[in-house]
Amino acid sequence: MLCRHFALKGMRTSPFKAQNLSLNSYVTSTGEEIGISQAYQAWACGAEPHWSMNPVLLKPHRGQGMQIVLKGRPLMDAGPGRPVPREVLMDAVREAYGVAAGRSDMVVLEGSGGAAEINLAERDIANMATAEMADAPVVLVGDIERGGVFAGLYGTFMLLPPERRRRVKAFIINRFRGDASILGPGIERLEELTGVPCAGVLPFAQLRMPAEDSLDMGRDRAPMPGSEDVRHVWMESLDELYRRSRDHLDYPLLERVAAGE
Amino acid sequence: MAAICRILADKGMRVAPFKSQNMSLNSTVTPRGEEISRAQALQAQACRVEAEARMNPVLLKPKKDDVSQVIVLGRPYQDMKVGQYFGGFTNGQGPDIVRDAFDHLGRRFDAIVIEGAGSPAEINLDDVDLANMRTAELTDAPCILVVNIEWGGAFAYAYGTLMLLSPEQRSRFKGIIINNMRGQASDLQEGIEELERLTGVPVLGVVPHMEHALPEEDSQGLEDRGTGSVKVGVVRLPHISNFTDIDALEMGGGVSVRFIDRPSEVASVDAIVIPGTKSTVDDLHWLRSRGLDRAIVERRGKVPILGICGGYQMLGAQIHDPHGIEGEAAGSHDGLGLLRAASRFDAYEKRTVQVEGTMVGGGEIRGYEIHMGATESEEEPLFILRTKDGTREEGSVSEDGMVMGTYVHGLFDLPSFRNKFLSLAGKGVEDEGAMDHESAVEAALDKVARTVAQHVDVDAIIRIMEEGA
Repeated sequence: MLCRHFALKGMRTSPFKAQNLSLNSYVTSTGEEIGISQAYQAWACGAEPHWSMNPVLLKPHRGQGMQIVLKGRPLMDAGPGRPVPREVLMDAVREAYGVAAGRSDMVVLEGSGGAAEINLAERDIANMATAEMADAPVVLVGDIERGGVFAGLYGTFMLLPPERRRRVKAFIINRFRGDASILGPGIERLEELTGVPCAGVLPFAQLRMPAEDSLDMGRDRAPMPGSEDVRHVWMESLDELYRRSRDHLDYPLLERVAAGE
Repeated sequence: MAAICRILADKGMRVAPFKSQNMSLNSTVTPRGEEISRAQALQAQACRVEAEARMNPVLLKPKKDDVSQVIVLGRPYQDMKVGQYFGGFTNGQGPDIVRDAFDHLGRRFDAIVIEGAGSPAEINLDDVDLANMRTAELTDAPCILVVNIEWGGAFAYAYGTLMLLSPEQRSRFKGIIINNMRGQASDLQEGIEELERLTGVPVLGVVPHMEHALPEEDSQGLEDRGTGSVKVGVVRLPHISNFTDIDALEMGGGVSVRFIDRPSEVASVDAIVIPGTKSTVDDLHWLRSRGLDRAIVERRGKVPILGICGGYQMLGAQIHDPHGIEGEAAGSHDGLGLLRAASRFDAYEKRTVQVEGTMVGGGEIRGYEIHMGATESEEEPLFILRTKDGTREEGSVSEDGMVMGTYVHGLFDLPSFRNKFLSLAGKGVEDEGAMDHESAVEAALDKVARTVAQHVDVDAIIRIMEEGA
């Protein structure tokens, strides 16, 4: 959605997800494998999917192992006893970000899992480490459908070390069903406790979207009419969602955040 | 929760589950005819006690965006808007209902395991909460925080939850359990130590992710299941209810269950189930708006078509709702016309009863009815149910035997109807297991209890329960 926003403003925009854990992948025109979500985000930007948009793709397979796809090419099967050196991954992330940033006016970064996985703080590459590498401001997005959204946002914010906490410039609450006014007191309290503004509450929307991750398998999906091109249908539904989101998201605030103000 | 219930019951304690308020469309009927959430009924089974309405004194069944049917002590109470329920009910009659139900159980059991709802730190609902800290306070219970690590951010959730509570509320928390861990628990060690240091609350264990045969609790569980060659299509109605009915279908193997919402999918399955719904008329309109009605009628006579509850009402010729009880607008609506039957909603009454009997043509069936409205049919009945005073005909089956409608939920739990339905699916699948669904659930309960007991400090939980808040 942010990708679409900046692209429609005429900026050359690129999505970026340092590390994606997914079995749903896409192959770029030059034959590199990236997460399918980054491919869709690229289309939302009006851009061709590119390896730099997702330099590390982790594809879990049976048991506890996973295939590591690095810069679009399979690197190795990692697992217990076969760890991947963090520096190898981080180098790829750094390189890819440089390429992505060189090709665009705006890079929209997506994290992965929780931003404050304190058990992984040292080893993280997908979240705050990427934000630091790119010196990027951070917007925390909480999924309210699963309950405990305020606890999740507040806990995430507080568990970050102060220098990382300073990067968090706004919150967004996502996938809300019902009358958003019921959240008012909670949002006020969260803003008061953290000093960070809430940039909006996005209503739950049915989109013909590719599943972002394996948890999405069983969720409600909107219908796919006829035999149209899925990508076309998806873009239409994204535009519809974007249009509606303008009533719910404070885009001027998000633009200021993106501009580093 | 069910695992803890079973563990305590296995230690010889008389245990009861308790969830003051549950929001769910998956409900069941107790032996006394009271409607409660299926989750509490399952937990009662884990405790090896009979389910009763006091274990889930308030059940909210969402109807439309902002309206829920409120069930109090197993009986329909009133339809309420969110705004009426929170504040009105939760600060009005709600707390007394909860306390009375709990006290009644407390006098009869050694231990009560209480489950919250959503999150204890929904700070927007602080003043109107009933299900979480309010219940803990009403019952003066010590609390254990369970966080699901599968969604990511478990430490943040745990920390954020505890820190957003007031100091008095926080002091009720005596332990944290991390649930649903895929991968190695040792990866979490640093995070656990940090969490314990920051909150002063000990982590009592990390429970691994388990695949099990226990029924699903909410609509997030609408996943296709099974890989067998016989495809049963379950229509994914927007207000789908009691979809646990179909859990038993794929037990014997040979079957795959698909949730379908496109005409092309209707055309490709070997059997069609129109499940229960909280809003029959709305969902009937939805069916039409997507062309699913024509797609289903098109398959009449070729594959078995079964309507359960709201789905049964849809299969008939008409649905009469003269007072607007079922839908927003009073009036009559045409059904799919696959059965010569008509349903009426004449009063705001709900039938909740456990039933047993035989299929017409032989074979035991067992289940329960939960519905508003009644159906009159010119078709042959599907079941002969035993009642106190004799027998009663239930359900409808078309002349060719391929279209069936019934109000009986859980009808696939025993093998006889399951086999009949699957044999009609044309490929003559025999349910290999022919296993009673109930014994599968029992086995699953024992399994989750064993796993949890291995990974969680059960003695600490018992100590916490003994010491209290």
